Amino acid sequence: MSKKSRISWLLIAPLLALVVAGFILPIGYTMVKAVKNPEVTAALPRTVMVLDAWDGQGMPPDSAWDALADDIEESRRGREFGAMTRRLNFEMNGARSVLMQTRRALGSLEPPYAQSLPVAVPELATPEIWQLIKNNSNPFTASFLLRAVDLQFTPDGRIEAVPPGTAIFLDLFKRTFWISIWVTVICVVLAYPTAYYISSLSNRAASYAMLLVLVPFWTSILVRTTAWFILLQREGPINAGLQAAQITSEPLQLIFTRFAVYVAMVHVLLPFQILPLYSVMKRQGTSMLRAAASLGAPPWRQFLLVYLPLTMPGVAAGAVIVFMLSVGFYVTPALVGGLQDQMISYYIAFFTNQSINFGMVAALSLLLLVFTGALILIARRFVPGLGSLKAG
Amino acid sequence: MKKTLTLAAAALMALTLPNVSVARDLTIVGFGGGYQDSAREHLFEGYEAASGTAVSDDVYNGEMAKLYGMVETGNVTYDIIMVEAPELVRGCEDGIFAPIDYEVVDGSKFIEGATHECGVGGTGWGAAMFFDKAKHPNGPTTYAEFWDVEAFPGVRALRTGPKMTLEAALMADGVAKADVYDVLATDEGVERAFAKLDEIKDHLVWWKSGAQPLQLVGSGEVDYAFAYTGRIIRANGEGADYQLNWSTLLYSIDYWAVVSGSPMMDEAMKMVEWITSPEPLRAQAAVWPISPANAEVNADPALQAANPGMVLNHSDEGLFISTEFWIAHGDELQAKFTSWAAQ
Amino acid sequence: MTRIFVTVFAWAVLFFLVAPLLVIFPLSFSSGEILTLPVPGYSLRWYEDFFLTERWLDATKNSFIVGIATMIIATVLGTTAAYGINLTNFRGKTVVLALLSLPMVVPLIVTAASMYLAFSVVGLANSLWGLIVAHTIIATPYVLITVLASLQTFDPNLMRGALSLGARPVTAFREVVLPLIMPGVAAGAIFAFATSFDELVIAIFITSPGEFTLPRQMFAGLREFISPTITAAAVIMILLSFILLFISEAVRRRGERLTAGKVKQ
Repeated sequence: MSKKSRISWLLIAPLLALVVAGFILPIGYTMVKAVKNPEVTAALPRTVMVLDAWDGQGMPPDSAWDALADDIEESRRGREFGAMTRRLNFEMNGARSVLMQTRRALGSLEPPYAQSLPVAVPELATPEIWQLIKNNSNPFTASFLLRAVDLQFTPDGRIEAVPPGTAIFLDLFKRTFWISIWVTVICVVLAYPTAYYISSLSNRAASYAMLLVLVPFWTSILVRTTAWFILLQREGPINAGLQAAQITSEPLQLIFTRFAVYVAMVHVLLPFQILPLYSVMKRQGTSMLRAAASLGAPPWRQFLLVYLPLTMPGVAAGAVIVFMLSVGFYVTPALVGGLQDQMISYYIAFFTNQSINFGMVAALSLLLLVFTGALILIARRFVPGLGSLKAG
Repeated sequence: MKKTLTLAAAALMALTLPNVSVARDLTIVGFGGGYQDSAREHLFEGYEAASGTAVSDDVYNGEMAKLYGMVETGNVTYDIIMVEAPELVRGCEDGIFAPIDYEVVDGSKFIEGATHECGVGGTGWGAAMFFDKAKHPNGPTTYAEFWDVEAFPGVRALRTGPKMTLEAALMADGVAKADVYDVLATDEGVERAFAKLDEIKDHLVWWKSGAQPLQLVGSGEVDYAFAYTGRIIRANGEGADYQLNWSTLLYSIDYWAVVSGSPMMDEAMKMVEWITSPEPLRAQAAVWPISPANAEVNADPALQAANPGMVLNHSDEGLFISTEFWIAHGDELQAKFTSWAAQ
Repeated sequence: MTRIFVTVFAWAVLFFLVAPLLVIFPLSFSSGEILTLPVPGYSLRWYEDFFLTERWLDATKNSFIVGIATMIIATVLGTTAAYGINLTNFRGKTVVLALLSLPMVVPLIVTAASMYLAFSVVGLANSLWGLIVAHTIIATPYVLITVLASLQTFDPNLMRGALSLGARPVTAFREVVLPLIMPGVAAGAIFAFATSFDELVIAIFITSPGEFTLPRQMFAGLREFISPTITAAAVIMILLSFILLFISEAVRRRGERLTAGKVKQ
């Protein structure tokens, strides 16, 4: 390594260290968490060992009962047992209460447990719960990733669709995708003529008009969402205006609807589409159009054959940014949408705060990351120079 | 520029350092709102004055994830926390709450059923359906009417989540109070509850924090809402004219629990004993319609007469939310509800 | 005809962009408690409430602490790294650049959830330091971009000249390079501050009420009790964005003049 490039590395090192430690490692940690499965082995080491030698058919050997009793006694005051029961209950509803019941029963039971336990906890006398323990003694699992696409393991280890009443994530990924597509399309439709108009103004007028784009752009997303939250209320300014103008007689339900999500998201993201379009159009000028006109092409052909292809990079660059940001949007839909209008991000937050299921958080994050990564790769193929664009 | 940076850095240090170096107060956490205001005044500050221990309080919405995170990483910043019964039992099983030291806390002073290995009863609470009489002189008074969107057009608000929502749905469908949990324990009962919810799905708004339903009804966003009774009574005390339908009451008891790994375990136990004793509770009951789980205060006829809004006064009108049911079925019904609500 | 249509359409879109922000102003000065127009009368009571309520003041203080710390750390680290990247064509440059700009492309919700999970383990969650680290990471790419852009217009011969005259590299950097790339550094610093000041998603995941920032407090307010104090807070934030926009435009113009001047020379 030359002396100079050593200086380069030295100068980059502090930032690189911070990004690796504070960003790359956390993301990696999360990705690993999406497939990690330590709970059962941690809480029931002896049971796992015994079940390892069991073929999973019929009932396990009698020694498994004693191992289970030992393990539970050992972990009586620790938190491993609770974590394990939560983990297994995720795989099979009711597993937690069976195991908690077992723990309570063990306080007053005498060995041999293979005789006394099944009497106290009849659910233990069926192979399912033992299969469940055995299946989850592996330190890694695909359970969370499968659940993130509405699939699950059966007790004997096959993969099946979750019951229809609990399926949710495939629909959510689809919804996230379609809301993002529509927001992007609406942004392009609104931004194109606007950017064209501004680019056709004199420099001075254009810079004033651009101020109307830049002010919202610099204003916090939350402030803009707050504005819509207020505007769309049942007794808010929009409904008041509509009724005063006698367009409607009853207040419309605007907030907590899909409509509100679209309006607020488009409002927040529109500047990201206008800015790159404007800079492309400004550079392009209208000289090409004039040249085409002087060759006698009708206006719509001038536009379609000359101007549109030339400004396409601006459309694509903006659209990619808008789409990518939409896919990960959380705050705006959470505030102005109803429960039927939330995207995948809402459920990442839900599993983090509400239910204590970090495996699901990790699995949904991983899928969203892969989804966005794939889209970036596709976009890079079609939009040259995308890497240099800034996306707020 | 350099000078500015140095100054800014110095200012930053000055602002942040005190937070780091001072030992923290004994921290008690509740669900906020008027209950917590009255508790702060009479229980928290009262204990501070009586013991000399600095107390600060914080608010949460019942999400347990943060608490689990704290205990599991050993960075425990909450000492005492108010929890609903199913969360108390599960948290205790999971080792998130410390066993109550019944040498310090007098277990005999509570009403029946309000002592647990890891918690003691704080206050009874309830939630019921209400509406603004100024806007709807004749609003719905039963769950069946709450569900009747023809006779009572308008937007309804319920608490996000299966607990209380499914009970209400079954009662709206004609299930008697006494049978609600038996029906809900069957697959058909669950189907029935969700089918009933489907009927009003397009007329529903979901709330998370206790303040929201009052806000939603107050601003006219929502016509009929399900909300905590204490908050409805408080709003009426501040000039609102809300009709509270006691026949729709769902009620339970909230517990004080001490967080496992709290660095101030002994102080926390002493505080739990103090804030469940009659004197401070009487003072609190004078300003807020609590239903203390302290037997002596709860049975006080003078208090009952002065506080017609005490939940435990209305227990014969309402349905006691089954702790056992929600411990057994909570996860499953939560998953079903989440999926249903997202569609 | 088309021309008229485009003009009307464009102005309608611009109106759509700006009008919602304008609505907040009269509401924040309302004397009433219900957020509707027209307001019943004007008063400063919501601003009073903002400046007299501890949690709003604490949130504002936290926002400034985190914003300024983020700005300083991100600017220093981003500028030195950009200089290092620009200095030589070392092996692995593209990989390093891609790595450093990753925080811009990873969906914020994924970043926030990951930081929450990992920061909890090392005790960085629920502390202002954790938030500063998080904000620095998402803000430095902007500093990198702006500083790299201004370094590209910088003539390396100037630096070589200074070194050949016997200046120490650090002195040469401070006296020769820094003044010329200052517009880029300043633009990056403003962007870093604005990024931190506006950031909400990470704050939702890794702060508890003691560390609430201004947006986080507003978010809690919107979900709890929507008092018009939120509109006062919003107006304060809009004014701040205005100031930041103004500074950044001024810096940009200055930068353009500097570059233009150099081209003329």
